[in-house]
Amino acid sequence: MLKSRKMLIGLMLLLLSLLLIACNNESASSDADKKDAEGSEQAGASEGDEEPFEFTIMANLHTPEVPATTTLEEIEKITNTKIEIQWVPDNNYEDRLNTAFATNTLPEAVFLKNQATFIQFRDAIQDGQFWELDSYLDQFENLQKLKENVQDNTRVDGKLYSLYQGRPLSRQGIIYRKDWADNLGLEAPTTTDDFFEMARAFTEDDPDQNGQNDTFGVTDRDDLIYGAFKAAASWFNTPNNWGEADGELLPEFMFDEYLQTMDYFKELHSNGYINQDFPVTSKVDQQELFKNGSAGIYVGSMGDVNSLYTDAVAINPDIELDVHNYVEGPTGEYGIWAIPGYGNMVMFPKSSVETEEDLLKILTFFDQMMTPEVMNYAYWGIEGVHYEVVEGRALPTEDSALMDREVRPYQGIEIGEPETNGRFEGYFEYEPKAKSEDLFIDNESYLIEDPTIPLYSETFTRDGARLQQIITDATYQYILGQIDEDGFQAAIDNWKSQGGQNIIDEFNASN
Amino acid sequence: MTSITVPKVKKTKAQVSELRQKRRAELWRRIKRNKMIYLMILPGIVYFLIFRYLPMYGLIISFQDYKPYLGITGSDWVGFAHFERLFTSPEFWTIFRNTLMLFGLQIFVYFPIPIIISLMLNEVRHTFFKRGIQTLIYVPHFMSWVVIVSISFVMLTLDGGIVNSLLEVLGLDKINFLMNADWFRPIYILQVIWREAGWGTIVFLAAITAVDPQLYEAAKIDGANRFKQMWHVTLPSIRSVIIVLLILKIGNVLELGFEHVYLLLNASNRNVGEIFDTYVYVAGLQQGQFSYSAAVGFFKGIVGLIMVVVANRLAKAFNEEGIY
Repeated sequence: MLKSRKMLIGLMLLLLSLLLIACNNESASSDADKKDAEGSEQAGASEGDEEPFEFTIMANLHTPEVPATTTLEEIEKITNTKIEIQWVPDNNYEDRLNTAFATNTLPEAVFLKNQATFIQFRDAIQDGQFWELDSYLDQFENLQKLKENVQDNTRVDGKLYSLYQGRPLSRQGIIYRKDWADNLGLEAPTTTDDFFEMARAFTEDDPDQNGQNDTFGVTDRDDLIYGAFKAAASWFNTPNNWGEADGELLPEFMFDEYLQTMDYFKELHSNGYINQDFPVTSKVDQQELFKNGSAGIYVGSMGDVNSLYTDAVAINPDIELDVHNYVEGPTGEYGIWAIPGYGNMVMFPKSSVETEEDLLKILTFFDQMMTPEVMNYAYWGIEGVHYEVVEGRALPTEDSALMDREVRPYQGIEIGEPETNGRFEGYFEYEPKAKSEDLFIDNESYLIEDPTIPLYSETFTRDGARLQQIITDATYQYILGQIDEDGFQAAIDNWKSQGGQNIIDEFNASN
Repeated sequence: MTSITVPKVKKTKAQVSELRQKRRAELWRRIKRNKMIYLMILPGIVYFLIFRYLPMYGLIISFQDYKPYLGITGSDWVGFAHFERLFTSPEFWTIFRNTLMLFGLQIFVYFPIPIIISLMLNEVRHTFFKRGIQTLIYVPHFMSWVVIVSISFVMLTLDGGIVNSLLEVLGLDKINFLMNADWFRPIYILQVIWREAGWGTIVFLAAITAVDPQLYEAAKIDGANRFKQMWHVTLPSIRSVIIVLLILKIGNVLELGFEHVYLLLNASNRNVGEIFDTYVYVAGLQQGQFSYSAAVGFFKGIVGLIMVVVANRLAKAFNEEGIY
């Protein structure tokens, strides 16, 4: 009895001490890390450029796994740096970003994910929490090349705080089953009516000719922006987020064209030409419906054709795909919404980059990144291992698992675009993929821009995301037939009364 | 301690301190005598201090316009501004109502089910069968909400889900389970039952084993059948356990499972599904309104506290033990 009691107590003490040791170690090791970092920074400062400069980048990860450091080591060698990258899965990047910000633990270089998160940080930027870059960029030969007009889109009160990551202005278009269309004698749709007819025929006319009613037209997902809805809205010439009516800026959902698009989707949905649960379908499920031969039309980034094809051909070797962009609405004009020229951007918090000297070193790194030599490592990997150069373009290896493991994540730290950083453009053996690249350029003649990009509204910064939820929900409810036009109008009124009117006023005042 | 040492009869300072010393010595003596027991609760106390009390310091930010780079010491004070915003926001009553509705479902629909299952299992004579059932119904507890919700999604979707396919075969209309506000609550509570009901039986089954067999014998002699034995012997014997668990459950009033509800939310059911937890997450972590979401969380905590105190009072009023 006594013995077992003693043992029990001993065990408890052991557990407790283990716990304490664990806690202790953690804080000790992080202290040590800090000291190391500080030590080497000082060393770097005093001995010139001999010691590699250490810093941390926080970036979003689009692959399931954290990449191997093979290519990063090459980059580090050339730029004489030692970089730690905090990879954060793209899905919960906002959480992690806000948590790091709230606890004051942002690293030296922070990627922001997109425009929406950038808007959230506007307050902090205005409060001077990030380094302003205008006065430094002159010193850097390569960073100077960044496009002026895109930079202007990222300015806050006329000042530049970030380096942008370029993206084609509009990649939106249609990917469809060419083999199905051929079976039914259909051409690529050039009007919204054609598109509707294709969705109908793919649903009702047995496009796969297996004698069964097992297909439908459009596969869509729970995303009104990067899914099919916003692209279709552009075909109807709906403004991009905001548009001008009678000299006043108004949000897109107050325009008739938006209502027309909703009616269009409502009809697609009630006829069963689109997946019935699209408002709760994830991107993976959406693409699966396309790959497994259930659906024949995918509206979104045309660049997806490559990965869709690779997976679909494994299921059905006879599959043929094609891409298409030009679809005109009832007005006879084609339009397509544009992003402001950047997909992501990197900023430098003053809390972690404490001196001008450190900032200059980090900028030096990004300046070096913008040379073809370094950027090709980041974007394509090592020549001969991850890619070959064909006709002055990069042809990635067919081992896409290897690319995912060692290269693709690093594409997330690109700065600029091929035009400015000089990296190879992609060479695509798969013809529709090559065509999609051409269509990105073709899209540039039909862009619908967002007029509020250079404008500022305090309410929009604070409540915009929450208010948008009201409209997003109402849009889905309208398409599903759960509310009618009056119901949608009520949602708009609700949006207005909760702060939307202020947004309208503020944007117009700053216009 | 100190409040006890202020009696009505005036005492000199020396007397007071002497009394204090005595008490302190007494306390130390008792601690020494039972040192093993105190040692054993130490980890618990440490846990609560570190993980439950220390973080409360952060509630300060709900009265501030918290800016991370200024910190708690540097941020401006705004008084009750965030609470005002919460109480005047049109969403407040919706969220409050939704939270209470789901809470009501938890108490009135979910809570009795583990008790009923335990009573039923108790009547099973075949031990092997009983054990088998018990083990099987524990299993869902170890699956994450993501898995439970995904399985439901696959079963209920209109695009080839088995439930809707079955309805179709039977010649019935398809039902849009996922995108219909009326189905949100039934689906929520069914999933809770699915995942937790088996696990919830553990404590009740343990309590039932502790019932004195003599009581059953006496009841049998008095002519009670099995149902009457259950009603008049088993249930009254585990009543105190039921009440303690009920109070604890009420204490978790507003812990309705953030993950679970968040995964179920979509455009069509937000007006019945948005609860405080999801609201705090969206406002705080996704939109970066730290102070406001701290205020919402604080409010939620206060409501929970009130509920526990009231429930405990009620339990005591009915001569039950309560939890403190």
